[in-house]
Amino acid sequence: MTDLLFPPLSTQRPDAEGVVTRWFVPDGEHVTAGQLVAEVQVDKVDAEVDAPADGLLRVVVAVDGIAHQGDVIGRVEPD
Amino acid sequence: MTTTQESMAAAAHGTHRLTTAKAIAEGIALEMRGDPSVVYLGEDVGAYGGIFGATGGLLDEFGPTRIIDTPISETAFIGLGIGAAVEGMRPIVEVMFTDFMGVCLDQIYNHMAKIHYESGGNVSVPMVITMAAGGGYSDAEQHSQCLWGTLAHLPGMKVVAPSNPYDAKGLMISAIRDEGPVVFVFHKGVMGLAWMARNDRAVSDVPDEAYTVPIGKAAVAREGTDVTVVTISRSVHHALDVAEKLDGEASVEVLDLRSLVPLDRTAILASVAKTGRLVVVDEDYHSFGMSGEVVATVVDVDPKLLHAPAIRVANPDTPVPYARTLEQTILPMPERIEAAVRRVLAG
Amino acid sequence: MTTTTPTVPQGTTSLEPGVRRGLYRTMVLIRTYEEAIRREYYADKGPGFDIGKGLVPGEMHLSAGQEPVAAGLCAHLTADDAVTATHRPHHLAIAHGVDMNAMTAEIFGRETGLGRGRGGHMHLFDPATHFSCSGIIAEGYPAALGQAFAFQRKGSDRIAVAVTGEGAANQGAFHESLNLAALWHLPVVFVVEDNDWGISVPRSASTSVPSNADRAAAYGIPGILVEDNAVEGVWSAAKDAIGRARSGGGPSLIEVHTLRLWGHFEGDAQGYRTDLAGVEGRDPLPAYRATLEADGVLVPGAADTIAREASERVESAIAAAKAAPLPDPAHATDYVFA
Repeated sequence: MTDLLFPPLSTQRPDAEGVVTRWFVPDGEHVTAGQLVAEVQVDKVDAEVDAPADGLLRVVVAVDGIAHQGDVIGRVEPD
Repeated sequence: MTTTQESMAAAAHGTHRLTTAKAIAEGIALEMRGDPSVVYLGEDVGAYGGIFGATGGLLDEFGPTRIIDTPISETAFIGLGIGAAVEGMRPIVEVMFTDFMGVCLDQIYNHMAKIHYESGGNVSVPMVITMAAGGGYSDAEQHSQCLWGTLAHLPGMKVVAPSNPYDAKGLMISAIRDEGPVVFVFHKGVMGLAWMARNDRAVSDVPDEAYTVPIGKAAVAREGTDVTVVTISRSVHHALDVAEKLDGEASVEVLDLRSLVPLDRTAILASVAKTGRLVVVDEDYHSFGMSGEVVATVVDVDPKLLHAPAIRVANPDTPVPYARTLEQTILPMPERIEAAVRRVLAG
Repeated sequence: MTTTTPTVPQGTTSLEPGVRRGLYRTMVLIRTYEEAIRREYYADKGPGFDIGKGLVPGEMHLSAGQEPVAAGLCAHLTADDAVTATHRPHHLAIAHGVDMNAMTAEIFGRETGLGRGRGGHMHLFDPATHFSCSGIIAEGYPAALGQAFAFQRKGSDRIAVAVTGEGAANQGAFHESLNLAALWHLPVVFVVEDNDWGISVPRSASTSVPSNADRAAAYGIPGILVEDNAVEGVWSAAKDAIGRARSGGGPSLIEVHTLRLWGHFEGDAQGYRTDLAGVEGRDPLPAYRATLEADGVLVPGAADTIAREASERVESAIAAAKAAPLPDPAHATDYVFA
């Protein structure tokens, strides 16, 4: 099982609240390592999140959910 | 099938979910991989990835000799695109906002669009101009216009404006492959940008491989029988929202033009012949533009197709104001579209 | 003919203490304003960031770091002189004396704003001070020519000052304007704020010469380069150029190598910006304060007083803006024609 973390986007505000703006793959679907799975945002900075491994995606923080940089927003389970 | 098996079957068909912005970038990348003469020039298209994301990731893949940041010199670099196209390249040149085309309009409409005709067909200009358009987020008079009516009015250039990721990627590939000039207008509100109001219609499944969407062909975004709403770009989303809301009360057909030049007059006529009632939604200025052209398309052939006068829902002939209360009144928002649909049904 | 204005040596300036304090006060007022607008801008955009939300929606281009240009330049202007500015206008508006309440109400989109809420922060028009700005790059230069043309015909010594960024110096209107102003000997001063970045594109990637002050020679007008964002250097260069225009000596070009302390617009991640690490250290305000305190021009406590007065002024303008009425949608199409 591999964690999907909210990436560090703001060096000036490392504790800033961010939001998960989009999941491109629904919960339970198979993903491959490197595949674009989500988009997150802190202030006006947004970033893509790629799957860290092959497996099944589990969504931990849903769209519009608040998270901090470094938080677990999803997981990839072996399928 | 279990969820996993269904998912893996979908993956085998080769699609993935993208925003419109990423779909545009992917279309450009696919063509650039296959054709070294395709280059992309514009302001902040390199490291920044385009102010509205149209070239996101492309600098990393293709480098600064093919994804080229320009000075703020539109006349010079649009003209450069023309010259390069004439000599066999396929440049894509970006005007950051449609509003800025004033500073380089001569190159666009007197040269890019006319060289093929002036040369009796002997010289071709296979280039694409991309432009960001549209309002709704208080960017005011000089950063919120659509202006596709102006572009479409001037002969010699095709004009397309996709409303969704699938069409955006396919139209971009068609535009690049076209032997003549194509102006590709992307409304900022359809791009799926994280820093604008969330729009779920800006994300959809897109085939992995390269494919084309024909320029000059409209698409029925939603079938209906009581009224035809003809529109393009961001307004397609609003029209669909209204159609869904009225489901059960009225059967609304939404025709997404996708292109203004060529205009799919056949599709407009076929839909209006079926429903007998027409609403045109256009985020460009009301007079002397796209909405009038769509109504004229019907009236030129047979005014009796219309059981009630056509209704145009467009920006009034007024610059787009800054204050949100005013801007939301000016733009063709769902409330105005719904009112027009109800009025045309009652008429 | 290009001259580089030498950096005014710290501590040996010939400027009157009152003038120096005035320059500092103007810069503090500008910075205080920009910090407050920044605060208001972000206050209600969340969750995340939706650019269209909040009391100050849309784009926001703030001028932190560029205060020396506005303060040094506008010290020589009166309300009868014209200033045309860009999408980053606040520092020039404040320094030129645009009414802060009306300007702030406009930024908040209120009926009592300079443009009745129609224009917003990029389109500030103040007939009382002949101040205007626009969001199209370089397009303030031609308008300044016209204001200078009108002033000249009236037989006055009023002048027009046109300010752009360094990116604008590669746009056609810039070059046409310099040529025409020189040819017709118009009382205009062209100012280029070189803050190194045209959004994400560094000057080295946009401009074929090391400094736009060098381009003045191509049009037969004097070009002056102020290299280090020093407010007193700007003051000196502006005194010469403005004096030249007022006395019938024609146009000049001043380029100031200034500093964009923040992003191009608010929300700009500046991932492209290679000089980010050194930016805070180049802030002109703490440096000038230190100089003035060392010279005894600012006595102990004076800087704090100036800061407090600025804050009161700014917060008062913001409070007034928030209390002002919103424009009535029934009048959305008014004012298209006179």
